[in-house]
Amino acid sequence: MHYPEPIAKLIDGFMKLPGIGPKTASRLAFFVLGMKEDDVLQLARALVQAKRGLSQCSVCRHITDVDPCRICQDKRRDRSTICVVQDPKDVVAMERTREYQGLYHVLHGAISPMDGVGPESLYIADLIKRLEDEEVKEVILATNPTIEGEATAMYISRLIKPAGLKVTRIAHGLPVGGDLEYADEVTLSKALEGRREL
Amino acid sequence: MYVKRLSMKHFRNYAALSLTFQPGIHLFIGDNAQGKTNLLEALYVLSLSRSYRTAKDRELIQWHHSQAWLEAEIEKQHGKLILELFFTSQGKKAKLNHIERRRLSDYVGAFNVVIFAPEDLNLIKGSPRVRRRFIDLELGQISPSYLHHLGQYQKVLAQRNALLKEAPTHDPAMYAVFTQQLIDLAVPIYQKRFHFLRQLSRWAEAIHGSISQGKETIQLVYQPTAPLDEKMEAAELAASLAEHYASIKVKELRQGITLAGPHRDDVAIHVNGHDVQTFGSQGQQRTAALALKLAEIELIKEETGEYPVLLLDDVLSELDDKRRTHLLDAIGRKVQTFVTGTSLEGIDHLLLQSARLYRVKEGQIVREN
Repeated sequence: MHYPEPIAKLIDGFMKLPGIGPKTASRLAFFVLGMKEDDVLQLARALVQAKRGLSQCSVCRHITDVDPCRICQDKRRDRSTICVVQDPKDVVAMERTREYQGLYHVLHGAISPMDGVGPESLYIADLIKRLEDEEVKEVILATNPTIEGEATAMYISRLIKPAGLKVTRIAHGLPVGGDLEYADEVTLSKALEGRREL
Repeated sequence: MYVKRLSMKHFRNYAALSLTFQPGIHLFIGDNAQGKTNLLEALYVLSLSRSYRTAKDRELIQWHHSQAWLEAEIEKQHGKLILELFFTSQGKKAKLNHIERRRLSDYVGAFNVVIFAPEDLNLIKGSPRVRRRFIDLELGQISPSYLHHLGQYQKVLAQRNALLKEAPTHDPAMYAVFTQQLIDLAVPIYQKRFHFLRQLSRWAEAIHGSISQGKETIQLVYQPTAPLDEKMEAAELAASLAEHYASIKVKELRQGITLAGPHRDDVAIHVNGHDVQTFGSQGQQRTAALALKLAEIELIKEETGEYPVLLLDDVLSELDDKRRTHLLDAIGRKVQTFVTGTSLEGIDHLLLQSARLYRVKEGQIVREN
């Protein structure tokens, strides 16, 4: 079916978003057509402002509206620990815990030769430079427990361990509040692998 | 275990169907292209969540329809089990006792089948890929963690191959990382395969001996692409693999592909000390294939405590009287069996008396006795 060009462009635009296929995209597009002009303008402005107003922190590469970002500027935070994550979303998740008081470093992806993503396409060199300049004692590798996330953690650990830093990997295993009997075999064996002495 | 009821909608050429079964032998007779194999395939798919005939789930959905649905009620020693599979063009959903299983490895393994189809006679004669697939499928049924490791291994393998292809710009640390990941996953795969093959070989020996009336001895020998020994501990396996990858590094970088590991291994099948693949007669090869399949049944019983369901797709006509008798004898009354064929000719009278007989025609199945 052929749409008039303006709506075809809008549908095309929505389809670039994650999790949105042609059906949802055309539903959203037609919904926008039915919205009040003010609301549409507000939405469009919010989109542009989010894009223009936010940039990357020049230190940790987290998204921010000020540079360095508010976490990097915060004097109360522990500057001797850096937690390395794949995405800005992961920083937000870690912050929700209110447990972690150190700094972050966002890689913006994970190593994946299949997709042409090597260490040079991530902010790994920036991390190394930070470790040389700042007084960091521990690096926590909090990349995802996937093949690519593991490979990235192993790669970084290979690079920085010789420098005598403490390098740790976040644990994976049973979810808190979970029942042992409902855990799948793989998670359970991972949890067993990572057991600790009491 | 046995299948008590099978229901399906828009699966292959079946618009809608519901059949009830009992323990014992069920015979499905009909001309070609009427849906006999599709029926066995439905049971196979319910067991492993995917087909052995196609990698595309879409092909399982009836022509001009958008979804297919399969359901089976399985009677096990410890109670009833309801399996449900739902295929759409977007993907599939699997339910065990009405609870959705997001990970297929949490679904597979509850209901075990062993299939013996004409292409299984290829098990001996075919390429190493056929034998690896046999091991992966059978082992996957009794060990969900094996399936998980294998899936992860294949992902790492694809990454490592991509890395080896960009060899001119290769980064030693990247090579080390992906080689280490590959080894970490290869070790548990090897351990499981060695163990599985030892058990399978033991059963196959006994069964093969009885088919050949003690004249021949079968032996399964795992042939790894790296210098490994089944007596090695995990650490020794890892060390030996690391050493081997180091020795073939230049070659791997030149060819841009991973040249050793579980994805390239083979199993040699020896009869009286000779490789049947090269030296065996067609009869010997069939006997060996049959012995492997029957061994698998016993092995699943040993591992899970229950006999699997046996699916015999059009193989009775492929076997001579002696092997046929042995096959049906071995099944006896202990394994629920679904047999397809184009005619009743050559099927044992005693078997016909105890079996339930069905006619299959154009996607309809009618009970005859």
